Amino acid sequence: MKTEDLIQSLTREVPPVPRHALGRRIMLGVAGGGVMTLALVMLALGVRPDLWIAMHGFAFWMKWSYTASLGVVAIVATMRLARPDALPSRWPWLLSIPVLLLAAIGIGELAGTPSRDWLAMWLGQSWKVCPWLVLTLAMPIFVGLLWSFRRLAPTRLRAAGAAAGLAAGACAATIYCLHCPEVSAIFVLTWYSLGILLAAGVGALVGPRFLRW
Amino acid sequence: MREGEEQLRAWMIDGLGGDAGAHAALLRALVPLLQSFYRRRMRGAEHDVEDLVQETLIAVHTRRASYDRDRPFVAWLYAIARYRMIDHFRRQRVTVPVDDVADILVAEGFEDACAARMDVARLLSGLSPKQARAIRDTHIDGLSIAEAAQAARIGESDVKISVHRGMKALAARIRGERP
Repeated sequence: MKTEDLIQSLTREVPPVPRHALGRRIMLGVAGGGVMTLALVMLALGVRPDLWIAMHGFAFWMKWSYTASLGVVAIVATMRLARPDALPSRWPWLLSIPVLLLAAIGIGELAGTPSRDWLAMWLGQSWKVCPWLVLTLAMPIFVGLLWSFRRLAPTRLRAAGAAAGLAAGACAATIYCLHCPEVSAIFVLTWYSLGILLAAGVGALVGPRFLRW
Repeated sequence: MREGEEQLRAWMIDGLGGDAGAHAALLRALVPLLQSFYRRRMRGAEHDVEDLVQETLIAVHTRRASYDRDRPFVAWLYAIARYRMIDHFRRQRVTVPVDDVADILVAEGFEDACAARMDVARLLSGLSPKQARAIRDTHIDGLSIAEAAQAARIGESDVKISVHRGMKALAARIRGERP
């Protein structure tokens, strides 16, 4: 094909691109996948029956702020890595703020609990399934982000995949809070984070293959 | 005629606003830019250059939402062009028959490049590891001072000093003096 013909066919339709099209597209991917994840939590796992009461307590908001702040940082990172001229940045360090805050709360909790109860507090009722559920629930959101990337131009595919996986994991964990009855900070710090990290790892693993364009 | 950053960016922004004329003008102006970008990097493969130019135009068109109106246009363009070229090599490597590899290596000046690299390696081996690394990073692998500093986990001024002293020592050695 002649280049001039190509240019003519490309410019036959030039829809306007709004200023925040990139951010909107990423949010749309997250939201689309998030609706799927929410449906999975409500239908397959069930919302915890005492959600309304829990929402008046500290533990629920502690969990939510932790996962949601990780999600925000990861989504911002994903948006940056969706541009071809993304520079290596220091954003991963921002993730340490919620982690350290939660760790501080966890140490406070441990100090106030007799040491014979520490193990039960750490493992909770659901440590065996929590990371895997977070990872599974992250998949619809990750797929949503893959859709977002189809019109965007990541060039550091492994980093972009990891950021997308992290965002998917953190958002999935936020939604999973509606089901999960665990209350201790060290439980969340260990098992939620593990699930989120697994999602980021999967993202980094498949990024170079699925994000190629 | 080559258009500069100002004009290209103005066309890009108008194109993003839905102006098909500006968008077409932009794509046409990119053709010579991209041709010389790829020609400089892929000696002799005129057919590949044309393919890459077209692939890049398509990417510029379909992925234009990834351009940030507040950032330089040319940097965005070349980031896409570079990615397309790397992807092109990655795809090709799978399809190159093994028998042809020797020819390709000769044609690409691989032997000369290897010989030069070995000379460089021998010279650098006479320096302290820090100096050798600083020179290799900044002068051979093309990192910026800041990137080299980050990679080696030392300060930027440390990189500059290492490069400077290392180069001086190399020059002395090549002239046949003992440092």
